[in-house]
Amino acid sequence: MGSMRKVFGGVMAAALAASLAACGSGNGNGGGDAAASPSAGATDSGGSGAETPKDRVKLEYWHTYSDQEEKVLTEKIKPAFEKAYPNIELQLTRMPYEGLKQQVIAGVAGDAAPDLMRMDIVWVPEFASQGALAKLSDLEGFDEVKANVFDGPLATNFYDGAYYGVPVNTNTKVAIYNKKTLEEAGLTEAPKTMDELVKAAETLKSKGKFGLGVSGVNAWGLAPWFWSLGGKITNDDYTKSDGFLNSPESVKALETLVSWNAKGLIIPTMLGGEPGVWDGLKSGDYLMTDDGPWFYSILMNEKDAKFDPMAETVRGLMPAGAGGSRSVIGGEDLVVFANSKHPKEAWTFAQWMMTEEPQKIMAEVGLIPSNKAAAEAMKQMDIPFVGEFVQQLETALPRTPIPQWGEMEGIFNLSFEKAIRGEKKPKEALDEAAKQIDALLK
Amino acid sequence: MSPKSRFAIGFRQWMAVLPYIALGLIGTAVFVLYPMIKNILISFQNFSIMPNASNDWVGFANYAKVFQDPNGKFWIALRNTFLNVIATVPVNWFLAILFAVLINAKFVKYKIAFRTIYYLPIVTSWIIIALLFKYLFADGDGGFVNYILHKQLGLLPQAISWRSNYWSAMIMIWLFHIWKTVGWGVVIYMAALQGVPKDLYEAADIDGANAGQRFWHITIPLLKPISIFVVINLVNGAFGFFPQVYFITKGGPMDQTQVIPSLIYTQAFEHLKFGPAAAMGFMMGIMVFLLTYSQMTKIGKQRMF
Amino acid sequence: MKTSLLGKIAVYAAILLGALLFLFPFVYMILTTFFLGTNTLPKPDEVFHVTPNYTNYATVWNKNHFTTYFMNSVIVTSVAMVGSLFLGALTAYGFSRFAFPGKEFVFRIFLLTMMIPGVINIIPQFVTIKGLGLVNTYWGLWLIYIAGGVVGNMFFLRGFFESIPKELEESVLIDGGGSWRIFWNIYLPQSLPAMGTLAIFIFQGTWEEYFLALTLIKSEALRTLPIAILMFNDKYATNYGQIFAASMIALLPVILIYMAFQKKFVQSGFNEGGVKG
Repeated sequence: MGSMRKVFGGVMAAALAASLAACGSGNGNGGGDAAASPSAGATDSGGSGAETPKDRVKLEYWHTYSDQEEKVLTEKIKPAFEKAYPNIELQLTRMPYEGLKQQVIAGVAGDAAPDLMRMDIVWVPEFASQGALAKLSDLEGFDEVKANVFDGPLATNFYDGAYYGVPVNTNTKVAIYNKKTLEEAGLTEAPKTMDELVKAAETLKSKGKFGLGVSGVNAWGLAPWFWSLGGKITNDDYTKSDGFLNSPESVKALETLVSWNAKGLIIPTMLGGEPGVWDGLKSGDYLMTDDGPWFYSILMNEKDAKFDPMAETVRGLMPAGAGGSRSVIGGEDLVVFANSKHPKEAWTFAQWMMTEEPQKIMAEVGLIPSNKAAAEAMKQMDIPFVGEFVQQLETALPRTPIPQWGEMEGIFNLSFEKAIRGEKKPKEALDEAAKQIDALLK
Repeated sequence: MSPKSRFAIGFRQWMAVLPYIALGLIGTAVFVLYPMIKNILISFQNFSIMPNASNDWVGFANYAKVFQDPNGKFWIALRNTFLNVIATVPVNWFLAILFAVLINAKFVKYKIAFRTIYYLPIVTSWIIIALLFKYLFADGDGGFVNYILHKQLGLLPQAISWRSNYWSAMIMIWLFHIWKTVGWGVVIYMAALQGVPKDLYEAADIDGANAGQRFWHITIPLLKPISIFVVINLVNGAFGFFPQVYFITKGGPMDQTQVIPSLIYTQAFEHLKFGPAAAMGFMMGIMVFLLTYSQMTKIGKQRMF
Repeated sequence: MKTSLLGKIAVYAAILLGALLFLFPFVYMILTTFFLGTNTLPKPDEVFHVTPNYTNYATVWNKNHFTTYFMNSVIVTSVAMVGSLFLGALTAYGFSRFAFPGKEFVFRIFLLTMMIPGVINIIPQFVTIKGLGLVNTYWGLWLIYIAGGVVGNMFFLRGFFESIPKELEESVLIDGGGSWRIFWNIYLPQSLPAMGTLAIFIFQGTWEEYFLALTLIKSEALRTLPIAILMFNDKYATNYGQIFAASMIALLPVILIYMAFQKKFVQSGFNEGGVKG
């Protein structure tokens, strides 16, 4: 936790300084208009009630909520917001996950993007750098939002000295174990350290089962393991990779992963094999994997399922290695597009969505609030699985929140895959990746 | 003929034909040609997706980026394009003519039914067939292909993770393509065989030629013109792989199975690198143009059926 | 010519094996639609032991606005098909029956456009449609589908049009009819089998198109069928039974249209002239 604070402390200081500077230079985006318009904070909801429905502003909102989440969105969030702001109507559009980025790109390029969108946290800096998103940190009420949310998720909205979104929900992955297989490995509770886990995996190896549930060769799948084993991708300011991604600790971490795979301890899913993570975990062929809260919210809502996730699995924090117990921050940010026709109203919704009540409503379906008060309240709610996730968030790290991340991740994935497949020595692979990433960071 | 009257004749000819082709010309110009020209321009720009961005001219920088990519993605995609041609065209061609000749054999009944079945994959959607193939080629013994080849027949020493290794992924892409498209060749050849004079075979019968000899010495040479047409189209199809790669592997593992169209798509719409993507598109256009220039008018004059 | 019994058996065996290879994936897909387990890969043993039921079909039919999308696709595809056929035939007629300066040049340009990958054209096309104010309308989709396909359709039909004997025109000319009458009364009826074949292709191509539809259509109420199918492909888990049930429903119209047209399908395509290179 200590080092995390430091990371974000640094980011915040830089952010503050930069956003102050940016205020003077007027960026010409939609954000400017919104800043000039009178306050539309959550406080003046009463006054807008008098307007006739004719003047209602339609806000187009794109999202990718799942079936259950969408239900709550349309049945609870929308009515609640429209009651508080009768002059605004939410037009909700659920987008297919497939080809989503292409649609956003075409929307932006053709000046047909929606007003708001709930987008994956790793996209925000990339779209911000294209000028597609409105700068929110200049707007009235931003500081209030900022004070109420966790630093980690908020940092994913940071680009070039300003914030271009607000974290609508956050999540992370924890270790999920199949109870029976855990007992087979001779354990009664989730392993606390990597060493314990590896020992369990070695025991299971002789029974033809897999113990280490690395879910894929990409940053989302690898990062919790790499970080927990002591690896680092860049320095704390995200400006340099050489000396970090290829530091002795990082090389050691990757070598450990490579040796685990060579010994056959890692689930075949990592390199695209079958059974899939969930299938293997359900059947007990896999001891564990790391996954998000949706593992429970989806499986518990499945009709006529034979598998009861609450009864048949055990949760634990990521087992600690040389780097501690690290997981990766996921989640979505709420962004306002630069070409929004109603930036003022869009920001009103974003602000409202970040307050405690709506955050608590979405928490009911297992989405972890980034609003501190709502997250605290969620612990008291009757959501059985959520405790470990909230606890893991305290030490979880974001994937490098910079516009170049999309390309960086390609390099990162490729170097790890090459090392794990034995095509390159871990040190060589990481040296090469660090060099390529530094070329991007320049 | 004086220049003026030649002009007048040309003008009159255009006036006569214009009612029929004007809409087609305008539509093609606006929705096909203009985007292409626009892309050529983009390939020399630092292109931003914002509608009013300045898009500075950068000369050949995007082309340099394509060639300087440390992982050589463009070269890999180019290599795969040629591999796809080499691997699929001969098989596709041979299966097409073979099945057509067999179905066309005099004693075979239900010819139309067979033709319908063989052609079925052609009329089904790429997306659905891709989903289906991914499902059939799923990893482990739960995938049907592994189940048959490994568990039932024992032809494979272990279940293959088809899409996660380069060669197995390529083989899967090829099988997908051949399965989906061989019916086209079968239908073309079946139609062509209607026009082959029967008496040639009768003469061969008298000479005591067997079925294989008849196939290689009579059928194949007779169908040569149609074969040229089929092969050109197959080569063209193999060059244009996109759904085959995009829906099956998305270019993975490690961008190893990319072809140029799928690489263009991912560079543009995943990584927002429109400049380099447009540069690759333009280069591919030139390449295809050079490769097919001599055949072009021939292709144009060909009948599709 | 006589074929030995053994030879006959071998030929039939080969044809049947081929037919099996082409049919089996569809059979396996249909069996999977009866599978009710969720979010897991159905194993072959399980797939072969399913009992036919309509559960997955009923589920998908009522989920993700499937019926609306289905009807939307019917509208989008039928208009695009009729429009494409008409414009394709019109253009092909112009190119096959008339001589005019620059024809060869236009031809080469057209051919060139067919050989260059079109995936990257989406952005300029989108911007043009936006400029016409047709984003989020079917008119936008129709314009691109019809205008974008005219070159291919023209080449397809032109070969037929050129093989229509000139003598047929004379009766129209004697009656005092012009080029339009020749188009309507001679060329269109004469090339019906070709038009039928082309119709299948256009129908299928439009019916499954999703890159453009996804980009151009913004409101949920106007979406088309392929988008509905993709909605079943969840971010975290795939329900194979439902995906393939949705796919089967989507495939059905195409297969029905194909079956309906296929008897006439290309039969008259190859007369003797056609074999000439």
